[in-house]
Amino acid sequence: MIEVEHLSKTYGTTAAIQDVTFVVEPGEILGFLGPNGAGKTTTMRILSGYLPATAGTARVAGYEVHEQSMAVRQRIGYLPETPPLYTEMTVEGFLHFVARIKGVNAGDRRRNVDLALEKTSLSDRRTTLIRKLSKGYRQRVGIAQAIVHDPPVIILDEPTVGLDPRQIIEVRHLIKNLAGDHTVILSTHILPEVSMTCNRVAIINNGRIVATNTPASLMTQLNSGTGYELEVEGETSQIQAQLQAVNGVKAVEVLLTDLPDDRCKVKVSAQPDTELSGRELAAAIVGAGFGLFEMRRIQASLEDVFLQLTTEEIPISDDTVVTEVDPATDDDGNDPGANGGKGADDDSTGEVA
Amino acid sequence: MRVILANIVAIYRRELQSYFQSPLAYVVAGVFWLLSGIFFVFILNLTIQRIAFADQAGFQGAIDAPYQFLQSFLGILNSIALFILPILSMSLYAEERKRGTLELLATSPITNWAVAIGKLLAVVTFFLTLLLPMLVYQAIVLSATNPPMSIPLVLLGQLGLVVLAASVLSLGMFISSLTDSTILAAIFTFALMLILWIIDAIGQQVGGPIGAMFAHLSLLKHYNNLAQGILDTSSLVLFASYIFLGIFLTAQSVNVFRYQRG
Repeated sequence: MIEVEHLSKTYGTTAAIQDVTFVVEPGEILGFLGPNGAGKTTTMRILSGYLPATAGTARVAGYEVHEQSMAVRQRIGYLPETPPLYTEMTVEGFLHFVARIKGVNAGDRRRNVDLALEKTSLSDRRTTLIRKLSKGYRQRVGIAQAIVHDPPVIILDEPTVGLDPRQIIEVRHLIKNLAGDHTVILSTHILPEVSMTCNRVAIINNGRIVATNTPASLMTQLNSGTGYELEVEGETSQIQAQLQAVNGVKAVEVLLTDLPDDRCKVKVSAQPDTELSGRELAAAIVGAGFGLFEMRRIQASLEDVFLQLTTEEIPISDDTVVTEVDPATDDDGNDPGANGGKGADDDSTGEVA
Repeated sequence: MRVILANIVAIYRRELQSYFQSPLAYVVAGVFWLLSGIFFVFILNLTIQRIAFADQAGFQGAIDAPYQFLQSFLGILNSIALFILPILSMSLYAEERKRGTLELLATSPITNWAVAIGKLLAVVTFFLTLLLPMLVYQAIVLSATNPPMSIPLVLLGQLGLVVLAASVLSLGMFISSLTDSTILAAIFTFALMLILWIIDAIGQQVGGPIGAMFAHLSLLKHYNNLAQGILDTSSLVLFASYIFLGIFLTAQSVNVFRYQRG
């Protein structure tokens, strides 16, 4: 549905994206992941026909985005970084306007608008002026605007920014429901969002695609990171020694907590390519006479993958597309905590929705 | 073609709707109506006094009072418009750029031309609405004239005002498309208008063929032609050229400027 080949965009002398290549199959949701300033927005703007590329081609539904711009524009719904809203209009009026300029037939407009309102749970706000809506609602109007003409391809630039946790979950549900009928590209710098909503992930850094794969295989390919977190009663150094002796343990790290002095929290990480046995760890603690208060398995989160891919060059197995990474990567953009990073962390360690 | 027309109508309707929601539009209309109303009464009194004075002085020749009145009033209207028009055109694109809605328009299957034409039509319509009460005033006063005033002559003056406004608004729209600051757009439009107003005088200073060329570009000179009831095709062509130039430049600038980082 979307084919991007060797796409580059330079502003003056600075390259925003370089040699970006990827394909999105019909009905798929591709997550575009990268730190701020990595080139996500530029790529999406090129796909939407807003910006011309400096080099390379991008095709949406078989049409070249710049040369056959009008054909592409009819087939995409696009939510830019800041939702494009006429704040003096009502929600309904605005959606009618968008439907009209997107070329929806007069007879279908009413139904399309109603459907978009329903999908974004805006039906009860249809006659409210957009000016009077909160940020979360405005964002939803932005999404409604992108789907009102029922386009085959939907491009969403950071769709969950500015939403509260409940709204984030709703929007993710909405996006998941769009898949199948629609092909979706969404960008985000919130990692769990990708693992929850996307079929595939493209990680972009400094204007280059660093890796594309399914979220699950990206995580499993990174063999470090699996381990356990334990809360134990007893002498810290003795606990450490006891755990260190267990088969396959690479390191035992004491975590800073505000627990009482006689308790501590430790993180046990496994050696590469080995599976830690929870039973052995528990046996080691209990056998030595310590009290075991909590034991939790930690999996590699996409966050780990992301940090590794965007901060250093690491070899990953063949079926992941890996291009060379600039070692001088900036760390300042890696801010997954900006929007629910903490709560999101728990999500990714729990079951993947 | 039908699609383009439908798009123009869509943009036109949205723009008009936004005037109803905008406090600025109400303020502009209020100020315009207040000022033009005051000047209307003022000029009417002045004309009557002048005739009375001429009578007392024993002046025997004919004075075309209605015509003089119309001339003065149209002159005042275009001076007020000089201040009003930049305010009307300043937010046409600047506001869209600021709110990011230009990105919506630029990624919709709608041409820049359709957007520009729709916007210009809407703002000209708003200006026409401002003029409507003035037409009523004039109709009341001029209907009392004896012999009756030639209606085409009156209408030609109003037409002059409308095409003058359309030209200025079109160029103002282009200036508005260059910036996301409405204030800057208003200031630059005002400056450009002033220059086009007095370019006639500049042309006389310069002299020669270049001076003559400048004089031809003058908005005021061609407006006065129409206001005096002279239907000069070259005047109409000049106004049409300004309108087209404004729309053309707007369509181009929207294309070019989105290629910049922003």
